[in-house]
Amino acid sequence: MMRQDPAKHYFIWPALLVVLVVTIFPLVYSLTTSFMSLRLVPPLPSRFIGFDNYTSLLANPRFWHVAGTTSLIAFTAVALQYVIGFAVALALNSRVPGEGVFRVGFLIPMLVAPVAVALIARQVLNPTMGPLNEFMTLLGFPNLPFLTQTAWALGAIIAVEVWQWTPFVILMLLAGLQTLPNDVYEAAELENATPWQQFWGITFPMLLPISVAVVFIRLIESYKIIDTVFVMTGGGPGISTETLTLFAYQEGFKKFNLGYTSALSFLLLIFITIIGLVYLAILRPYLEKHK
Amino acid sequence: MKKLLLGSTALIVAGFVGSAAEAACDPDYSGVTLTATTQTGPYIASALQIAAKGWEEKTCGTVKVVEFPWSELYPKIVTSLTSGEDTFDVIAFAPAWAPDFTAFLSEMPAEMQEGADWEDIAPVYREALMVWNGKVLSQTMDGDVHTYTYRIDLFEDEANKTAFKEKYGYDLAPPETWAQYLDIAEFFQRPDESLWGTAEAFRRGGQQFWFFFSHAAAYTNHPDNPGSMFFDPETMDAQINNPGWVRGLEEYIKSAKLAPPNALNFSFGEVNAAFAGGQAAQSIGWGDTGVIAADPKQSKVSGNVGSATLPGSDEVWNYKTGEWDKFDKIVRSPFMAFGGWQAAVPSTSRNQEAAWNYIQYLTSPEVSGNAAVTGGTGVNPYRVSHTSDLDLWSDIFSEREAKEYLGAQNESVQAENVALDMRLPGYFSYTEVLEIELSKALAGEASPQEALDAVAEQWNALTDEFGRDNQLAAYRASMGLPN
Repeated sequence: MMRQDPAKHYFIWPALLVVLVVTIFPLVYSLTTSFMSLRLVPPLPSRFIGFDNYTSLLANPRFWHVAGTTSLIAFTAVALQYVIGFAVALALNSRVPGEGVFRVGFLIPMLVAPVAVALIARQVLNPTMGPLNEFMTLLGFPNLPFLTQTAWALGAIIAVEVWQWTPFVILMLLAGLQTLPNDVYEAAELENATPWQQFWGITFPMLLPISVAVVFIRLIESYKIIDTVFVMTGGGPGISTETLTLFAYQEGFKKFNLGYTSALSFLLLIFITIIGLVYLAILRPYLEKHK
Repeated sequence: MKKLLLGSTALIVAGFVGSAAEAACDPDYSGVTLTATTQTGPYIASALQIAAKGWEEKTCGTVKVVEFPWSELYPKIVTSLTSGEDTFDVIAFAPAWAPDFTAFLSEMPAEMQEGADWEDIAPVYREALMVWNGKVLSQTMDGDVHTYTYRIDLFEDEANKTAFKEKYGYDLAPPETWAQYLDIAEFFQRPDESLWGTAEAFRRGGQQFWFFFSHAAAYTNHPDNPGSMFFDPETMDAQINNPGWVRGLEEYIKSAKLAPPNALNFSFGEVNAAFAGGQAAQSIGWGDTGVIAADPKQSKVSGNVGSATLPGSDEVWNYKTGEWDKFDKIVRSPFMAFGGWQAAVPSTSRNQEAAWNYIQYLTSPEVSGNAAVTGGTGVNPYRVSHTSDLDLWSDIFSEREAKEYLGAQNESVQAENVALDMRLPGYFSYTEVLEIELSKALAGEASPQEALDAVAEQWNALTDEFGRDNQLAAYRASMGLPN
């Protein structure tokens, strides 16, 4: 039964107001802006243009190119993070000597700001002053165009993403591994199951729920990548390494095209939501099976 | 009696203090607080702050410097101007934004537009960049022109001189033309010695397009067709895909191939590092290169930093006739890249007199001269006295370095055919399009003509979107042409 104490209003309404002001208002304002032609530079009068910003974006080859690049970076980086992260988590879970040191060491990249990581990477990959190319030259290889040719640049960005965010996967999966019951493994050993069979029959299925969550979080985060790309390549050469968020930044903060940028932000939101829903729909049967 | 003595002593002391305060406050702006805004420091903001301290001591006024990140500075200023609020008394801004601000700025007081200090400002700033439709609406507080920097030790090495003359048939010296610049770059391209021909910015988002403009200015800034470098000043049709621009881009791409590997990822910071690190025989860029390279703490080539004006050309594209015009001598078109930060007073300011007085102090020969030689202020020479007072620079340069550096700066801004940077409403929309296509051309994904055709098409579309008549009026005003 609901209490009729009027005091509840003093607690509920301010909280609701805060939520409205902090969360809902910016979202609604941004959504409204996405239907307007609103430019700060040059300061043209704003006007309602319906879905024009959205149709213009969807008809813009740059948008699709950028969406493709972002997807390539996100899926490749997250796949590598998951495989490497799982392997390292399994190793750390085996109580190797010096496990504590390894654990701390592996977590350090995650604690560094992405801008700093990208700056370090840019320096490491520098052709004339960077240690990597110096080492390669020492071995007789030519200087490699790490950040200036599309394939190399994409590879470098993915490598940095993997380096920085694999620790997150390790952390989560290691926590999951440490909660698995020992008796299941003891029973498997009594049945003479090989380690490989134990992994595919016990470890992987039992970690599936946490794996799904980890990959989901990383995928969404990877779609928002901007700092690493901004510092390492600036989106170049051309627009070959430009990502959705960097594209939005260029439109918003360089061209001050606010209506277009808002529409782009909502398309990114829709894009990520669709990917998330498809991802969960595909994995649902497996999750149900191993419940 | 004791009371009387105390009283009279107090009066005398108060009188002294009063007259001392009056003497200190010249002019007296006691109680006046100015709010000045610019980008987050140290560059430019520190110059405002240093000047603020001196001005406060001199006038008894107060200056509050409000800094915003680069990306927020424009919207902050434009919203305060268009809303009519008196948020800022002084704004320090990028010259490219001038077209959007000029309608809201107060005119510089007439007394500031005369006398030795006024004449001391280099004419290109005083007569072009500070003027909008015949009115002086801002004051240059930083000079920005591209110049040429080279390694004296390499250029004066006898073996190099002999080998160069044998190969190219003329003496090794700072280049007169861009063709010579490329010859020199090719000659010094020696990766096995960790030495490359040149260093320029090629990175998208790394000041790249200003370097390209410097190349193209030599072929497109026709002395007989002022203001026609970027657009046709009659129709506002983009000129960026004409043969002069294509030639400039072809040479810019050649420069990229004669620069250190991965130079496509160079912004101006990397250019300075490469030159100061002894990896490049020559480079072009702003005055910072010379200052950094001359500093033994930051440089391996200090003592050997030569400077000159940018190379030119004896052929310039004439957009009216659609032909190359041949000249008897080399036409130099030093490019005013970026154009130098401007300081102005919004019409809405309630302290206009004090605000202009602060700008006058900030840009006075003494205060600005010290800022120009103080690292981190971001202030480059823009007064004749900045480049004529060798003593000012003696802590940074050797005598020869100083002479060449200041000579290059001075000759560039005083050049007859100096090329002004583009200043248009929506400037960064135009340059973003250009950056993308330039990157494609540099990466070999598009030919120079294809890339520039794409830029021209998109520039024309932007001009139509922003209003061709408005853009044309702004462009003509920015180029000093009557409307």
